[in-house]
Amino acid sequence: MTCEEFERVLPEHEGSHTIEQQSHLKSCAPCLELVADLNAISEQAKFLQDTDEPNPRVWNSIEIALRQEGLIREPESAPFLVHSQPRRRRLAWLIPAGALILLMFGVMQYKRAPVQSVAQKPVSASAVSVIADASSLDDQQLLEVVSKHAPAMRASYAANLRDVNSYIRDAEESVRIDPNDEQAQKYLMDAYEQKSMVYEMAMDRSLP
Amino acid sequence: MMFSSMRAAKVVVIFALAGTISAAGETRQQLHFKVGRKPSISINNQYGAVSVKAGAKREVAVIAILHSDKVEIDQSHRGNRVDIVSHLLAGADQSTGQVDYEVVVPADANVTLTSMTGPLHAEKLHGDVVMEGNTADVDVRDVSDAHVHVKTLNGPVTLTDIRDGHVEITSLGGDVILTSVSGPLVSVNSSSGKIRYDGDFGDGGEYNLTSHTGDILATAPSYASIDVTARSEQGQVENDFQLQPKHTSFPIKAGSAFAGTVGKAASSVRLFSFSGKIHLKKR
Repeated sequence: MTCEEFERVLPEHEGSHTIEQQSHLKSCAPCLELVADLNAISEQAKFLQDTDEPNPRVWNSIEIALRQEGLIREPESAPFLVHSQPRRRRLAWLIPAGALILLMFGVMQYKRAPVQSVAQKPVSASAVSVIADASSLDDQQLLEVVSKHAPAMRASYAANLRDVNSYIRDAEESVRIDPNDEQAQKYLMDAYEQKSMVYEMAMDRSLP
Repeated sequence: MMFSSMRAAKVVVIFALAGTISAAGETRQQLHFKVGRKPSISINNQYGAVSVKAGAKREVAVIAILHSDKVEIDQSHRGNRVDIVSHLLAGADQSTGQVDYEVVVPADANVTLTSMTGPLHAEKLHGDVVMEGNTADVDVRDVSDAHVHVKTLNGPVTLTDIRDGHVEITSLGGDVILTSVSGPLVSVNSSSGKIRYDGDFGDGGEYNLTSHTGDILATAPSYASIDVTARSEQGQVENDFQLQPKHTSFPIKAGSAFAGTVGKAASSVRLFSFSGKIHLKKR
């Protein structure tokens, strides 16, 4: 089994794998890491409440991007994720959706967390860590979508992502130095809000 | 009040009067919609300007200049909501896909404007204003008792004479200029853009101006009533006011942070930057 074949069947096997897949995982570190990331994303996504659903436009954008990538093939009559709750749940495994959910989740964790509790909540820290790991992969996917539909804007979005990633790195460093620093938490929240905005706009605007 | 509003919404009648005049490859379209109280107007324009002004109470009038036949206008009017979308056809680009809109709406309309390139402009409204653009210049003026939410990537944002506003601006690289902007919440989140505030910080609001690398200049009169905290991790801070000391949750390092109150400290003002310079200036 190749990595490509493994990734193709991955969404269909939530948490369980065939012997062939397990064999591949034993010999392929990148796929093993991918599965670990997806498991972490899936676990963190369970903490999301219905009321914490991202803006419907985000779901629309995700679905449109996934369709363009050929990852979803559905009848034309039901074009948007926002109309299909069960389908939305099934797509939690897919990397871009998961990463975006976690992006929102990270922001919400910092919005909710009282100053004193941040250092005691490894969930927030691990969530942010997972986001960071998924981030570069997700950025690349986003830029590929932009390149496909609005090549002239790729450089601009790449620069925007560099800026906002730098913002996130600085903010994360501040939180690391002093987890109880309320302002550092706000920096991080603001930085993630900016990244969320870049994603939302890139996916909206790069559509044909 | 609620009943009359619902009733008004139900009797909304669209009489799409569409005139079409062609000249030099440009097409001019006029659209009219009858609406009720507090209608929602959404204009999604990929390329081109959108300007919205207040006009007659129960009517939305749209003049659209289409720059080629590679773009058309989709419209929908349901209940008290009007949606206008510039629909790009195959082969359209930034030039041929451009549409410029001039829109007159009731002053109490809630307006959502989107354009990649802009500019976006709204004035004399007291309904909510939401604007989004990539490189679009955003200009909002003379708005009261409303939410004003703006998102841009690199477009500059100018807000002037916003009273009792719930203002939230997120901009990655665009400069943000606020003049005479006050309300219960004024929040600016910028990455590399500069933030300039010139006003009196109102009476009882929360003002959060945050930038990653951009400078922040806040100018206020001597009579301002504020509880201010300013801090730059790597940049300098400067303050012209005589502050009464106050407790902060972080250590105050001279030159990189200051905190204190002026007058009755009615409004909370928080100025934060990572590497930008912060200056609280007395007018």
